[in-house]
Amino acid sequence: MYNLFRFIQKHHFVILFLVLEVLCVWLLTLTQGYHRQKRINTTNDIVGGVYETGTHIGDYFRLGKINHELAEENALLRRQLAATIDTTTGFQEIVNADTVYNFIPARVINTTVNRPNNYILIDKGSADGIEKDMGVVSSNGIVGIVADVSPHYASVMSLLHSYSTISVRFKNDEEQIATLRWQNTNYRYGIVDGIPTHLRPKPGDTIVTSSYSYIFPENLMAGTVVELIKSPDGTLNQAKIKYATDFASLKNVYVIQHTSLDELELLIQNQQMP
Amino acid sequence: MNRTLMNIIRFVALVTAQVLLINHIRLGGYVHPYIYLIFVMLLPLNTPGWQLLLSGFGIGLVIDLFMGTLGMHAGATTLMAFCRPAIIRIVSGSQKLEMNREPNINQVGFPWFLRYTFVMVLVHNFTYFMLEGFSFHLVGQALLRILISVPVSVFLIIVVMYLFSRDKGKMRDKR
Repeated sequence: MYNLFRFIQKHHFVILFLVLEVLCVWLLTLTQGYHRQKRINTTNDIVGGVYETGTHIGDYFRLGKINHELAEENALLRRQLAATIDTTTGFQEIVNADTVYNFIPARVINTTVNRPNNYILIDKGSADGIEKDMGVVSSNGIVGIVADVSPHYASVMSLLHSYSTISVRFKNDEEQIATLRWQNTNYRYGIVDGIPTHLRPKPGDTIVTSSYSYIFPENLMAGTVVELIKSPDGTLNQAKIKYATDFASLKNVYVIQHTSLDELELLIQNQQMP
Repeated sequence: MNRTLMNIIRFVALVTAQVLLINHIRLGGYVHPYIYLIFVMLLPLNTPGWQLLLSGFGIGLVIDLFMGTLGMHAGATTLMAFCRPAIIRIVSGSQKLEMNREPNINQVGFPWFLRYTFVMVLVHNFTYFMLEGFSFHLVGQALLRILISVPVSVFLIIVVMYLFSRDKGKMRDKR
């Protein structure tokens, strides 16, 4: 026993180092894997509070730009409103837009774009009605999906995440759906997988969300095609796209609340039962 | 000033600067400068080993909490703290250092501090990006990130050192 203590005393530097590193690796394994990544994210009110204070200070230097963005969005919404009222937009679309989705405004208080898996922290949480798996959009385009909520903050799995896959389609082709994922290098560009060879997307074509999802409403802007990547074996092509959202300077976002989601989920659950 | 108090202030200031300012630097998405390493780098030369390790682990863990990278920064900073005594020996060569002092840029001179910063940042970044790369299977990219981030971190650390050591230099002259 005495020898053991002597040994520990003599090599305490190396032993402590090994203990701490093992602890780190254990912490690391806690947060790996798809489901863990969604569950254990560091959304808590202390970290959120520090980021929020920092954002408040930084915002004073950006007020002009933020005002400009909001004014642009206002103008866009006014145009859309005018279009809805005086043209013959179908009755069905108005009903869908107004009753099924509710938009909760939120501010981005921290965002990363240069990690393999990026998250965005926003200043609204479960107290404001935000729940996991809700979609998040900015005035420019889709942003991500809520991964974790605390009472006053939420962390959003951004499109810039290795597990992020979104069902999308080309704006000029209502039928064919494809999948949008991140190409893991540059925060401006993503990849659309599974484009059949008969589709010939041209650079500049718009990509929007498909209707096969209850996280995002249909027709939300996702990005524009940069180039078509032909598949070497002649099957499904890919396209490199430029995201509509600028993730590096994200400020104001909207969390999409599906007002009849409970009902929908119940339906899906019942469907799966024998 | 009391050394412990000084280190607590430095800890808080560096974490705040790292999280609220430096993390917003993103030139093309590959640059990750880390200045919080200054905390471990500036601990007095005669700091006991266990304090060195716990300091490294502690500040790494706090940074991890803010960045949502539980374990990665803590692991890298602990390894860096573990290597510090050896790095100081290698970097010093025949140069004699005052053991009860901080290895401040004014104390040790620019060439020594540059070598020291470079090796320390390299050890940290290599570990960090490898941990990140292995967990996401992107080793090639990890190497690219190291290549770009190390010079930026070294540059920023030297700048910060000059910014904050000028006052102390003047005070010493007056005495």
